[in-house]
Amino acid sequence: MEFFDNLAIGFGVALNPANLGFAFVGAMVGTLIGVLPGIGPIATIAMLLPLTFHLEPVSGLIMLAGIFYGAQYGGSTTAILVNLPGETSSVVTCIDGHQMARQGRAGAALAVAAIGSFFAGCISTALIAGFAPPLAKVGQSFGAPEYFSLMLLGLIAAVVLAHGSIIKAVAMIVLGLLVGLVGTDGNTGGTRFTFGIRELTDGIDVATLAIGVFGVGEIISNLSRPEEERSLIAQKITRLWPTGDDFRRSWRAVLRGTALGSILGVLPGGGATLSSFAAYALEKKVSRDPSRFGRGAVEGIAAPESANNAGAQTSFIPMLTLGIPGNAVMALMIGALTIHGIQPGPQIMSERPQLFWGMVASMWIGNLMLVIINLPLIGIWVQLLKVPYRFLYLAILLFCGIGVYTVSNSASAVLLAAFFGVVGFVLMRLECEPAPMILGFVLGPLMEENLRRAMKIASGDPMIFVQRPISLGLLIAAALLLLVVALPAIRGKREEVFQEG
Amino acid sequence: MSDAQRTTKPSRWDILARTDVLSGLLFIAIAAFGLWASRNYPVGTALRMGTGYMPRLLCWLLLGLGVIVLGQGLRQQAAPLRSSPQAWRAVLSVTAALVAFGLSIELLGLVLAILLLTGLGALATRALRPVETAIAALGLIALSWSIFIFGLGLTIPVWPEW
Repeated sequence: MEFFDNLAIGFGVALNPANLGFAFVGAMVGTLIGVLPGIGPIATIAMLLPLTFHLEPVSGLIMLAGIFYGAQYGGSTTAILVNLPGETSSVVTCIDGHQMARQGRAGAALAVAAIGSFFAGCISTALIAGFAPPLAKVGQSFGAPEYFSLMLLGLIAAVVLAHGSIIKAVAMIVLGLLVGLVGTDGNTGGTRFTFGIRELTDGIDVATLAIGVFGVGEIISNLSRPEEERSLIAQKITRLWPTGDDFRRSWRAVLRGTALGSILGVLPGGGATLSSFAAYALEKKVSRDPSRFGRGAVEGIAAPESANNAGAQTSFIPMLTLGIPGNAVMALMIGALTIHGIQPGPQIMSERPQLFWGMVASMWIGNLMLVIINLPLIGIWVQLLKVPYRFLYLAILLFCGIGVYTVSNSASAVLLAAFFGVVGFVLMRLECEPAPMILGFVLGPLMEENLRRAMKIASGDPMIFVQRPISLGLLIAAALLLLVVALPAIRGKREEVFQEG
Repeated sequence: MSDAQRTTKPSRWDILARTDVLSGLLFIAIAAFGLWASRNYPVGTALRMGTGYMPRLLCWLLLGLGVIVLGQGLRQQAAPLRSSPQAWRAVLSVTAALVAFGLSIELLGLVLAILLLTGLGALATRALRPVETAIAALGLIALSWSIFIFGLGLTIPVWPEW
């Protein structure tokens, strides 16, 4: 069986002591930033991106991946104990998780969240191992037109699935595409939007943009508000094991959450946050007694926590098999690969089996570590929650500065990150979600290149996009998605009109 | 209550300060700036795209989206954004701290750059006492030296090089 040979290669790589160490560091850092509100996985991964330059590519990826799914575990702790989401993906966990904690059942809530996450982690790891190879085979037959159509579909899906205003999300993607143009045009050699600044001729680094917008912007945003009162649940967490009733109620929710999260994770623009919101809504809909939600229903924790972990992990599938990032974290992962001169795409699996399978195996090991990090050691994380934000932001700001400086060894990148920090703050203040911007920024140059190549193949005939069957299918899917968005929007508008009249 | 709100017309400044109005204006401003900056870029044709083809296309698109967002903002009632002294303080001090760090890291080395960053960054909040700031600065110097210089062996100057 080729599958088991591959897994054996993977575990060989992942069980190497150094890589075990990196998986552990990633899981720890992920839990830490997951527990701490005010710093998320995007900023952290961007800050640590420069460090992976000094590591083996597979070790770097193992660590960065650990941060992403580790944050999904840690985020639930804060949500349950303090009623503050540690991450955006655990916003819905607050609703029932904190209610359970107030009823003195914090331990059970934490355990259900961790066990659900672990189950989802195992399943989605298996899904990656099973589905990635056939997808990569399909990807190998793709030419420039197919890639262009696929990325277009990705961007449209990212808009459709974004929460908040759709028009603003589109504008943010266009803004990201524009920022991605800064630098030298690879095809004509002309410079674009460099304003005669020498440092800009090589373009803007994705880490600089991400650290600025998400790291620094988030700090300013947090400081501009009065610090939230953290009402930590004071009682000691004694009973960690859920009751039989909890298990009976939650196992189906875990299954549904895992399934939903796995599907939404693969979609572009999906990932952890969307999965958790969707899973909570689904649970409420299928429940026989929806009134229990909001009063400490254990399904309200089990489903979204399983879903966010599943979504976080399956979002690796399009990145690893097609080289296309579905969300901002995956865009940074692509940045990490290109630092090492590895071109992400379908050839990764055949050319670098150690990298691919090593990472898959490490995900499973990392999930196992996370259960241990999160359940028996919960006391440590609770202590950490007592550290006020004013002691944290200086450290986060310094790590942002050092991170940007080391990524390019240039002081001007730090100034650029400061600028993007203000930009990020302004955007957040104006309720413009910055995540689609990063997606546009990374996909922009790729799309432009594939568009030009496709035009060259077809000698300028745009019909090439509809003549190729796969490309046509992808474009039809994109058009259908747009239609779906348009319909409820129209309905929504009409309802508004009726209400006002 | 709601009747009172409906009858009193929002002032012009309150309409301007709606998030959607401001975002629309921001998008329009960026697009206009981009169109101005790319005015001399060769555009080319769809077959042979010049340097300016994509930038100008995207700027026009952003301009259109900005107008739509602005229109939505003008039509829909929304609470205006209020600027607070705390927000200004955070923006200025965090930006100054990072800029100072960037300008000093190569010239003055890591230790002095961290002192500058913590000193300026601490101004962002009133909650931080001077003693706490000093302790934080020393702690951060020790922490970043042990991680980045000792642990990872990055080539960042630690002290000023004269």
